[in-house]
Amino acid sequence: MRAWKAAALLNLALVLGVGWGYLFWGLRTARLEQELAGARTTAVAGVERVWQISGVVRAVVPEINVLVITHEDIPGYMPAMTMGFRASSPKIHEAVAVGDAVRFTLQGVPPNVTITAIEKTR
Amino acid sequence: MIGLEILARWAHLALSVLLVGTAVSILLAGRSDRPTVLAWEARMLDACRALVVFAFVTGIAVLMLQTALLEGRHAAALEPVALRRVLLETRGGSVWLVRHGLLLLLGAFLAVPLDVRRRVDWRAARGETALLGAAALGVGAAAGHAAALPGALTAIAVDAVHALAAGAWVGGLLPLTLLLRRAASEDGADARPLAVLTARRFSRLALLCVVTLGASGTLASLTQVGSVAGLVGTTYGRLLLGKLALLAPILALAALNRRRHLPALGGEAARVGRPAMRRLAWFVGGEALLALTVLGFAAAMGFTPPAAHAEPDWPFGFRLSLEGLTDAPGRAARALAGSQVLVLGAVAVLTALVVRRWWLPLLGGALVLLAAGGVIALPPLAIDAYPTTYVRSSVPYQAASIVAGAARYGEHCARCHGATGAGDGPDGLRLPRPPADLRAPHTAQHTAGDLFWWITTGIPRAGMPAFGATLGVEERWDAINYVRARSAAQAARDMGPRVEPGRAWLVAPDFAYAVGPTPARTLREYRGRRIVLLTLYTLPGSRPRLAQLADLYGAVAALGVEVIAVPTDAASDALRRLGAAPRILFPVVTEGAADVVAAYRMLAAAAHVELLIDRQGYIRAISRGDGRADAEPNALLAEVQELNAERVLAPAPEEHVH
Repeated sequence: MRAWKAAALLNLALVLGVGWGYLFWGLRTARLEQELAGARTTAVAGVERVWQISGVVRAVVPEINVLVITHEDIPGYMPAMTMGFRASSPKIHEAVAVGDAVRFTLQGVPPNVTITAIEKTR
Repeated sequence: MIGLEILARWAHLALSVLLVGTAVSILLAGRSDRPTVLAWEARMLDACRALVVFAFVTGIAVLMLQTALLEGRHAAALEPVALRRVLLETRGGSVWLVRHGLLLLLGAFLAVPLDVRRRVDWRAARGETALLGAAALGVGAAAGHAAALPGALTAIAVDAVHALAAGAWVGGLLPLTLLLRRAASEDGADARPLAVLTARRFSRLALLCVVTLGASGTLASLTQVGSVAGLVGTTYGRLLLGKLALLAPILALAALNRRRHLPALGGEAARVGRPAMRRLAWFVGGEALLALTVLGFAAAMGFTPPAAHAEPDWPFGFRLSLEGLTDAPGRAARALAGSQVLVLGAVAVLTALVVRRWWLPLLGGALVLLAAGGVIALPPLAIDAYPTTYVRSSVPYQAASIVAGAARYGEHCARCHGATGAGDGPDGLRLPRPPADLRAPHTAQHTAGDLFWWITTGIPRAGMPAFGATLGVEERWDAINYVRARSAAQAARDMGPRVEPGRAWLVAPDFAYAVGPTPARTLREYRGRRIVLLTLYTLPGSRPRLAQLADLYGAVAALGVEVIAVPTDAASDALRRLGAAPRILFPVVTEGAADVVAAYRMLAAAAHVELLIDRQGYIRAISRGDGRADAEPNALLAEVQELNAERVLAPAPEEHVH
């Protein structure tokens, strides 16, 4: 075989090898990483979910049946923040006062979630 | 063990570099049918084959030693499981596989006898050798220090270019020597024209490579070394200095070859050309040996943590700084005069390099000027320094550390330095020299490492005892953080409630806090995202102002501000005490308040204090009051708007004091 053909074939094989490696490993890794990032941020939509969350009551708005709570991270839904939640019944906001540390059950299909149970932790 | 690994890495690097250089110099010489050149080329190809084999073998040795090092056991070097793990699960392993795959390919390519009588075949065959060798050498950069940097791709490219330039230049010196020696011999006359041509081509390529090496090396060391302290005070920096020191004679030899020996090659063969060629061969050979030694330093550097990540051990008793010149007009004048002489000397050097006549006396005069300028200008700039002068604090500048440091200060330092740091402690009066006033501005001019040295070893002539044995390392840094906070508090006395445009200097100590049972957050998390209004309040006096802030919260939040309220009594039921009305929805600290109050009350001791902290983490305004509502509620919005409108001034402060 002519030497230039051998060199060209070798280079072609190298390029193909690198390309195949990228297609096989690189693309797959990239796709997996993208999926992972997506799964971390987006909530599972359209499915009823239940969380048990800790927090502290910051305000009670009885007229609209809302509790404002500084809460910890709600996995798959929202990070830790101060946020108003509707209570499923007036009994719930009657049970707590501003400043109470609480553990509450949040239930519903995001973003329509309500507090279905609450208890003071301290 | 480590010595063995450096040796193996050196051998592997040198062999890889020689491989690239040999392949490139065959290309540089070009195809020829002169018997002497053909013999040389055949020898070089044999050398390439041997180099591939040896590079592969030393590569395996490096892999085994690296495995033993990673696993922490000598025996791991021979265990297939451990080797497999290193190869498949580490970045260095993947790069090793690629590099040695390329070497195998190159070995196979060189083993096949090819017909290269035609020019295109010759070029393809020799070019392929150089290409594969260069690829195997360049890919190595992906496993070096550069790969660990943020934005690694550019850094890796820079390192790869550095390696390839070194390969073409350093690796090409020995093949060139061999060609010149053959051509200079009695019966090598047929190769002489080609040898001269190759030497000239190589000279041009080497110049290009040296410039590339300089540029890429500078770029890499800017990130990997970063500071003078890193250069002279760490192993990595000292290896780099050693490399540069060896480079000087190499470059001198190279310049000599280029200026003297290369032009002489064109002379009449018997008396001028051949002796010149033999001399050039000797000099190039010497250059090659020195350059291969430099590779040893490079191999050791690849194995040493970069200076930017190591604690520098300052080797001199002084450092140069402009800080010694403030308040000393005589010293400043001397430094200024000296610097003028230095500039004059630099101009003279440049002139000597440009002009043809009188350049030697000019250069001599220039050197005298430079030396004189240095002697005049440098002494006033020198201030005392210690081995730990540039050491970074191992404890971040945080409220908790400041509070711990205050306790250490009270126990050990206040006796002499005084409770407020004024240097008026009762025991200080008996000392040979009065204790330093820690509140004075000069305290901030010493590096934290200077303070660390004094606390650790004491200052015998001033009667300061050493605390290295009584206080742990972290306790000493705590005390330094406290002293820094004290000095900052002294300087912050004049800071008022109005933002001073363009002046960001007062670093807000970081702190961790939590609201109720929620996870802890830190002030640092707001960096680059929100302005923070840190409010230290006292009930019941602060109630009106808190109500006003609650009312304003929507507006200030829209302007990018978070309000963090901290009860000065650090009560854990602070939320309940604030009550249900008005509705306060900003964070009220229930965990970690004590440290925040203690640290920030050093800056302002009023019952109600508001500190406006910009997005870079600097305190920009402090209002001290008793908690009454501000008569002008929009005043706060105006200050926030001032911060929102300004360009970013100072870079964000580092995590540690300096």
